[in-house]
Amino acid sequence: MSAPLLQLTQATVRFGGLTAVDALDLTLQEGELVGLIGPNGAGKTTAFNLITGLYSPASGSVAFSGRPLAGLAPHRIVAAGIARTFQNIRLFGSLSVLDHVRAAGNLHRTASPLHALLRLRTFRESEAAVTARADELLALFNLSCFRNTPARSLPYGEQRRLEIVRALATRPRLLLLDEPAAGLNPQEKIELVALIQRVHREFNLTILLVEHSMRVVMGVCQRIAVLDHGKKIAEGSPEAIRQNPAVIEAYLGPDHATGLFHH
Amino acid sequence: MPKPLLSLLLALCGAWLVSAFSAHLDPYYLDVLIGVGINIVLAVSLNLIAGHTGQFSLGHAGFMAIGAYAATAVSLFLGPLLIGDFPTPGGLAESTLFFAALVAGGAAAAVAGLFVGIPSLRLRGDYLALVTLGFGEIIRVLLQNFELLGGALGLNGIPPYTTPFWVIAAAALTVFVVGCLVNSTYGLGFRAVRDDEIAAAAAGLNPSRYKVVAFTVGTFFAGIAGALFGHFKLTITPAGFDFTRSIEIVVIVILGGLGNTLGVILAAVLLTLLPEFLRPVAEYRLVLYAALLIAIMLLRPQGLFNFSVRRPAAPRV
Repeated sequence: MSAPLLQLTQATVRFGGLTAVDALDLTLQEGELVGLIGPNGAGKTTAFNLITGLYSPASGSVAFSGRPLAGLAPHRIVAAGIARTFQNIRLFGSLSVLDHVRAAGNLHRTASPLHALLRLRTFRESEAAVTARADELLALFNLSCFRNTPARSLPYGEQRRLEIVRALATRPRLLLLDEPAAGLNPQEKIELVALIQRVHREFNLTILLVEHSMRVVMGVCQRIAVLDHGKKIAEGSPEAIRQNPAVIEAYLGPDHATGLFHH
Repeated sequence: MPKPLLSLLLALCGAWLVSAFSAHLDPYYLDVLIGVGINIVLAVSLNLIAGHTGQFSLGHAGFMAIGAYAATAVSLFLGPLLIGDFPTPGGLAESTLFFAALVAGGAAAAVAGLFVGIPSLRLRGDYLALVTLGFGEIIRVLLQNFELLGGALGLNGIPPYTTPFWVIAAAALTVFVVGCLVNSTYGLGFRAVRDDEIAAAAAGLNPSRYKVVAFTVGTFFAGIAGALFGHFKLTITPAGFDFTRSIEIVVIVILGGLGNTLGVILAAVLLTLLPEFLRPVAEYRLVLYAALLIAIMLLRPQGLFNFSVRRPAAPRV
């Protein structure tokens, strides 16, 4: 069997005296859709920031298809094939929806900045290709009607979707989604589940999903890892996680062994 | 032919026309024209750094000084060795020498921009403004104490090479380069970095690279503006490139609208002509600039000449 797509080995992140991620082992095989859950402050987003190079591990390692990511700048990790979205949406406020996707298409542009000055055929063809690909993505995700709208005037749900589209425009192999359902209404959550499944299927992606909404996590994930206080306390199928006493305790305290996840 | 190249060519033709008829024009207007052109070069290049990329720099006059001194060194010291003491005015040898001086001025300023840009990458907002402010002052003080370049008295007897042709051509080239860079897929990165660096990195863009490129290209043109300025005034002193000069350029950029090239050009024209009409109250110029800046920030933060409906983001500090 080939190397796993993503492998965290005993990865640890410390902020001063606080250990935010504690000796985390996590392995994703190509094509998996894995959920990462846990109570607030469990270290989920820190784990994302570790994988994407915003933080470096105090000890342990992160490897992407067998290649260690240590010391790579965030934009290099994106170029290697890991894209992400953010818990608190981070868009380029003044850029239009189309320009967001075009900007992310820079990794796959054929013309150099010098071509931009000469404006010869190479440049125009490269620009046309980037724009065409961006329009294609916007059409796939029903954002074409907002093509020229600045991101800051987009409705909230569309902003979330645009972040995912921008991540996809970098043509990743691994997509990290950080609470994509946060702030969405029930109807939008149902649409998001369908969207994640579609992206997973049609783009041949491996997805790691951090989410608080159990409906979303249980609905789409094939496997779930649970973090609490930086440590992985459980891992398994959604069904097994639902029944796991340690998980229920982490969420509700030791006295509540009632079914948390039964809606 | 692509539109931007065509526009550049037209501008160059215009420059040639103006210079061909310059003998019939009032020298006063030609001087004003040259002043306007130099300010356009300065403001449009600062706009790439401060407006498009969001790196607030208060040291543009410092880079201008480097360009002015480097170019003057070429034309004043190397010139006589290369083309003799009495070249034909406007002849090929003289033009070539001036071109070389302009390039040298731009290159020297760009190298300085690179040196300031790289350590400044970790700074943002007011911290970066302070570093660039300090840099501008360091340049001025160094020049003041550098006797080889005239010290506090500066350099005199600079050959009058700056003609309307060179100024219009330089302004057109600046607008062309900045415009072409910004209006491309590559150039979207400048604005992306301004709006959110972390998100830019998450989109695969290298924020540090973009900032260094903006700094280097912007200061290159500041150097060219300095070179034009020196060969126009025929005398340069370190005091001519002080903090107030930097502020003047910043006021132009803010007045025109951060990141709005056309607005900045119009503001450069306006703010160069304004002192001409206000000669009687010239000593209150800085008071006027400050008042203007406050009024713009309160009433039209998107810039005087920004007519698009959407308001650009307030500079992130």
